[in-house]
Amino acid sequence: MDETKNFVCRCEEVTVEEIEEAIDNGATTLNEVKRWTRAGMGLCQGRTCRKNVARILSRKTGRKLEELMPSTYRKPVRPVRIGLFEEKKIRGTSNENMG
Amino acid sequence: MKKVFDVIIIGAGIIGLSTAYYLTKKGKKVLMLEKKEIGSGSSGACDDMILLQSKKPGILLQMALESFEMYKCLSEELNTDLEFQTRGGMILIENQEQLKIMEDFVRKQRSYGLDVELIDKRDVKKKQPLVNDRVIASTYSPIDSQVNPLRVMKGFYMKSIERGMEIDKPSSVTALKKLSNGYWEVVTDNNKCYHAEVVINAAGAWAAEVGKFAGVEIPIKPKKGQIAVTEQIPCVGETNIWDADYIVTKLDPVLAEKRDRILAELGIGLSFTQTLDGNYLIGGTREFVGFDTKTTYQGISNILSQVLKFFPVLRNVHIIRTFAGLRPASIDGKPFLGEVKDKEGFFIAAGHEGDGIALAPITGKIMAQMICGETLSLPVDELSPDRLKTHCKPS
Repeated sequence: MDETKNFVCRCEEVTVEEIEEAIDNGATTLNEVKRWTRAGMGLCQGRTCRKNVARILSRKTGRKLEELMPSTYRKPVRPVRIGLFEEKKIRGTSNENMG
Repeated sequence: MKKVFDVIIIGAGIIGLSTAYYLTKKGKKVLMLEKKEIGSGSSGACDDMILLQSKKPGILLQMALESFEMYKCLSEELNTDLEFQTRGGMILIENQEQLKIMEDFVRKQRSYGLDVELIDKRDVKKKQPLVNDRVIASTYSPIDSQVNPLRVMKGFYMKSIERGMEIDKPSSVTALKKLSNGYWEVVTDNNKCYHAEVVINAAGAWAAEVGKFAGVEIPIKPKKGQIAVTEQIPCVGETNIWDADYIVTKLDPVLAEKRDRILAELGIGLSFTQTLDGNYLIGGTREFVGFDTKTTYQGISNILSQVLKFFPVLRNVHIIRTFAGLRPASIDGKPFLGEVKDKEGFFIAAGHEGDGIALAPITGKIMAQMICGETLSLPVDELSPDRLKTHCKPS
């Protein structure tokens, strides 16, 4: 089986080949790979593919995994129904950071 | 070791990359300096609109119309699908007060050749069957469009590299000096030293910081815009959406004072637009909080209550991500384009605030024309950094 056709990001159906192509075209960080391929931009927000994308970038560039800056984490941690915000009805009172 | 270029561009956002593209097209040897990543500032943390309707009649509307024409051909030119679509746009109106102001605004925009009209409630419902009954009318422009900024940057970047552009990233400028031979010397934190006849400050919200190295004070401040992203869903209506509530406060100071305190503080103006992939981007806030890019519960929940006000059907749709970008807000709401007086060879192309994506192609083209001494596609005198002086003086 041709492994380059494997899906790395299952939400957005991005293949190994597409990740490698982005790196060949000049993406040098995990955020850049994400922005150019959409890997990690789907429903799970990279929970599944983040580490695999990092491994590909590490392998292609020869940089160690621990040297790679992870792509940006943002809230919410899990998908949140919009209606919940309305039900909570906190408007001006909470200035809690979402991340 | 020094390397010599024709032009050094500081900032690999959409403005810098567009400028690089049009300069390399004219055969210029360009170096791009980026302190973080391609599009890591505002250009990768914004929505996707080429909103013509929000532009004040004048040079910015002219530039937006010109960019709109350019975007039509850019996918082919850059050999990248930019996901350019023209779905039209509507600004939803809730009361007579808003209607009166929007009528006048639409009239002025039409006089500049913008294809826009007011439509009544029945026609609003035809285009937006799921909209709430509180909407009494709406503007409608069939030519409001959208484009994927990430694709645009990729396209400009790859084509410029193909034409010989070099890039140094991550690389942050630490000194800018005019040499006696007329060249600018740029030193970076990774101990590189570059020379060029022309330096372009395209650092967006960071333009003021870069300006300091050249002894130029640039009145551009970061303005935070928070946005929520939904899961991929089917199309909610025919066009992208904005609300008049925020736009009228920009046009009428009396209404601005009457606005809800929290909405005014957060600078909330609804924008509701669907990407080609099916995610809706729901914005946004406009906050002066320095370089902080955190998203807040207060900001996001207020944005979402605005969208629910018009589209209650979204209650059961999920938010999968929130993000925030720093819009480069200039002191008078207009970008700075051009050479700085008494700093020969030092150019600014920054301060587009929320219009960077819409204005990028024409900005890049005009900057390249300026640097090559050609006739400009549009007269942009009023965007000249010469007006910096007037603003710097205490009045």
